[in-house]
Amino acid sequence: METMIDSRMMMTDFLTALFDKLDVAGVAVMSKLPSGEKTAFTLFTGKDDIKECVPFFPAMPANAARAVSKFTRQAVPSKTVAVFLRPCELRAFTELIKIKQASFDNLLILSYDCSGVFPFQEINLSDETKLNAYRDAVSTGKNCEGIRPVCAACTRFTPQGEDIAISFVGRSTDQPLVFSFPSEKGLAAAEQLGLDVSNTVAASSAVESLAQERRSAEEELTAEVDASLSDTQGLVNVFDRCVSCHACSYVCPICYCKNCYFDSQTFEYFPESYFIRMQAKGALRFPVDRVLFHLGRLSHMGVSCVACGMCEDVCPVNIPVSQIFKTAGSKAQALFDYIPGENYDEPLPLLAYAEQELEEFED
Amino acid sequence: MDEKKEFTPSIIYGLCSWCGTGGSETAGAMHLQYADNIRPFRVPCTGAIDPVYILRALIEGADGFAVSGCHPGDCHFDSGNYRARRRIAVLKSLLDTFGLDSERVLLRWVGHGEGKRFADTVNEFNDYIKEMKKNPLAERRDT
Repeated sequence: METMIDSRMMMTDFLTALFDKLDVAGVAVMSKLPSGEKTAFTLFTGKDDIKECVPFFPAMPANAARAVSKFTRQAVPSKTVAVFLRPCELRAFTELIKIKQASFDNLLILSYDCSGVFPFQEINLSDETKLNAYRDAVSTGKNCEGIRPVCAACTRFTPQGEDIAISFVGRSTDQPLVFSFPSEKGLAAAEQLGLDVSNTVAASSAVESLAQERRSAEEELTAEVDASLSDTQGLVNVFDRCVSCHACSYVCPICYCKNCYFDSQTFEYFPESYFIRMQAKGALRFPVDRVLFHLGRLSHMGVSCVACGMCEDVCPVNIPVSQIFKTAGSKAQALFDYIPGENYDEPLPLLAYAEQELEEFED
Repeated sequence: MDEKKEFTPSIIYGLCSWCGTGGSETAGAMHLQYADNIRPFRVPCTGAIDPVYILRALIEGADGFAVSGCHPGDCHFDSGNYRARRRIAVLKSLLDTFGLDSERVLLRWVGHGEGKRFADTVNEFNDYIKEMKKNPLAERRDT
């Protein structure tokens, strides 16, 4: 583990220093919206509005990896941009780099150990009770009541692949920021920021206690999902409410295809095809292909699923999509010993192969 | 379904243009008999079979889905069969997670000259699926 240092800077000082000393072109970070209740991932080009930034606000209205992919995909930003990404967003970003949908050139990636977020429709900037409970939970290293189930069961809440890590769990937000610098880029930035790297701070024990709570929550969640899917009836029940809006795929950071296969002409059947299907089963329930959509989507992106939980957040009929994808995805990932978002050098399992492997799946 | 009648499974067989279909041609040339309830279809390469095709067949009521293509190292496109193997591995893992029977999907390499292996594969898989009985999803109209 990298040494952590006390920066003696508050968040606003740090963001100002990014502009003043590092001369960044912009800072991409969660900020308050003018309406005063909600937040959004925003790209600031100047320090005038940085008091509006709320990087740790426990809501994820969109997976920020998608946003960062949009402005790094084809052309690298001409000047350094600092981006705040939650660990799961950073994992999604790493997966997007592998499929050439994003680039980390000229980015300074800032991340922190995440305490989870509330479903974004259930949290407002004025929800003092919830936010106070959240702050308490963060400083003591516990899961806060009301955070999303996948967040509560997320064991990968410490970032991987960032330039600057901010220690968040086990600390209070009204104290100076504690940093570590896992990359060369991060160390260079520390120097430019004029940080005194000798002010070392011990790691908080709250991180380990949260990790323990998360591990048992993950086991519970997996067992619960497995039990709910144990047979055909379970499978049909789980997706029974699906209205085929495909919103889960539109918010998914991994589902980058501009024209989703499931929205393509392949699924625009000819009238006689509906008739044949109706006759074959004695009925035809609309919308069609609901189980096919979810299982098919899993077969396409399941090995890259970073369990960010966006799909579940936007589901209008409250299907536990993310819990299912996390469970099914990690089993598929285990086939290849693949950990999504761990290392951008590693190819996606479905784009690579070995000549001798998986022979147990033949015959 | 009439219970007196023996269950005839509906089996879809994806064959690659180069080896899989070649195997079926050789079986034909050798006048080998094999179960006539399989429905073969030809794809350019096993690597071109999106798991969604297999899922759709199984959800819409196929009792089994077999895939045959060139032996490892023999792929006409060099690596399509290795990719197919990875996709089918993922698919089988998903089917197991969702309480569906991954044994209803069979991947077996059949070379162009292997007419006997082709006919045996069909018969063996057909008997196996007969033992497994009907695909429970075939009866479901609420998928």
